[in-house]
Amino acid sequence: MPKPIVLALIASLILLTFSPILRAQTATMHADESAAEKWNNDPFDGHARTGGCAPGLPCADPSFYAGKKGPPPRRDLSGIWDATAGGGVQAGGVAAHPAVYPGDTPGSEAERKRFQGGQPDEKGVLNPLPYTSAGEAALKANKPTGQSIRAVPSVLGTDPVNRCDPVGFPYMVNFQFLVIELAQTKDQVIYLSQFEHEWRIIWTDGRELPKDPEPRWNGYSVGRWVDDYTFVVETVGMNEKSWLDHAGRPHSKDLRVTEIFHLLDYDTMEHTETISDPKMYTQPWTAHKLILHRQSPDFDIREMFCSPSETAAYNKLVGDPINPESK
Amino acid sequence: MRTKITTLSLVAVGLLVLSIPLFAHHGSAVFDTDKTVTVKGTVTEWVWANPHCWLLVDAKDDDGNTVHWIVENQAPANIANAGWSRSMFKPGDEVLVDVTPGKNLTTAARTIGRFKGRVVINGKVFKP
Repeated sequence: MPKPIVLALIASLILLTFSPILRAQTATMHADESAAEKWNNDPFDGHARTGGCAPGLPCADPSFYAGKKGPPPRRDLSGIWDATAGGGVQAGGVAAHPAVYPGDTPGSEAERKRFQGGQPDEKGVLNPLPYTSAGEAALKANKPTGQSIRAVPSVLGTDPVNRCDPVGFPYMVNFQFLVIELAQTKDQVIYLSQFEHEWRIIWTDGRELPKDPEPRWNGYSVGRWVDDYTFVVETVGMNEKSWLDHAGRPHSKDLRVTEIFHLLDYDTMEHTETISDPKMYTQPWTAHKLILHRQSPDFDIREMFCSPSETAAYNKLVGDPINPESK
Repeated sequence: MRTKITTLSLVAVGLLVLSIPLFAHHGSAVFDTDKTVTVKGTVTEWVWANPHCWLLVDAKDDDGNTVHWIVENQAPANIANAGWSRSMFKPGDEVLVDVTPGKNLTTAARTIGRFKGRVVINGKVFKP
């Protein structure tokens, strides 16, 4: 047999023998990456963090939200939307009225005071809220944890969310407003919230809000399109167990929340929220105006449950030992 | 242009997100935020869970005794955005981490803190 053919045959045999190993090797090396791409996505996933990002900061490449550009679909909110990048994490209280002191920047005296927590009230806070005297009293009765000036160690805190009670509305958009998924049917907008895995229904069948509602954690919501790109939602009937935000702001059962979902372009939606609760606040006020970014339709939302057993395990190992009240 | 504004606001928000850690359960009041401790040791476990992820590290003190450190971070949904992952630490990894220590370290067997700055895993600086 001619030499080149023999060599070619040997080469082929070698390739055939080793190729399954090569394939397996390649498959193993890329298994985590491909799994990460398909499942448990995050708004700043892998490819978005390459280039031009300062170390240690979540980063989104400008092209990450490029999407299709152009006009949004008419009267259609459906999709997977991220609020994180637009400021959805409101650890010190609602974005428009955080319970922080003016000048609170990294390393400042105001920041140090906030980290200390334990302030008795919100005197001197940036953008103060118009509390009634009942509102002020209710605020003081709540003991928040976290990053507001009145925060206390967890063993003294009374935030229902910290013990895995339902997040409730509007707390779900006033604390960790992360990723949401919206679906539309003829009569409903179905709202799925990543934070603590909650959902709510916004009725679009024209029904009126209930007059004397049995209180619910998420209340009762109705919504309507006021133009092709603006969807307004009213919610009433929220029970008094839930807080308004992570700084312990109160609400009564007379709270009425107005949301405006306004589609700016195909990839961008603005969410504005107004609070009206005459028992607690002398006038309505805006809680936030946040930009939501559309995610790819194959975005798999990372699960986030508040599990009592996981929380107990964490408290036993870490949370309780570091609390000053611990023995 | 929208993308330019988006980039700037994202960077600004990024700064805000990381400078205001969530730590919903206990806040910063229980951590000595003025101090930084550098912990060098071997990973025994990396727990990727709600409400907090935490790293167990066996370090050595100045006398050569083993000190069991627990270093916590926020929940997966919060830190995955900054490039942290379930697989970034493995038992046996040699790590160096900057830590804000807890104020009240009453548990004799452990020292507790939270991630503050540098994270070096087997000699490589972790860069999200």
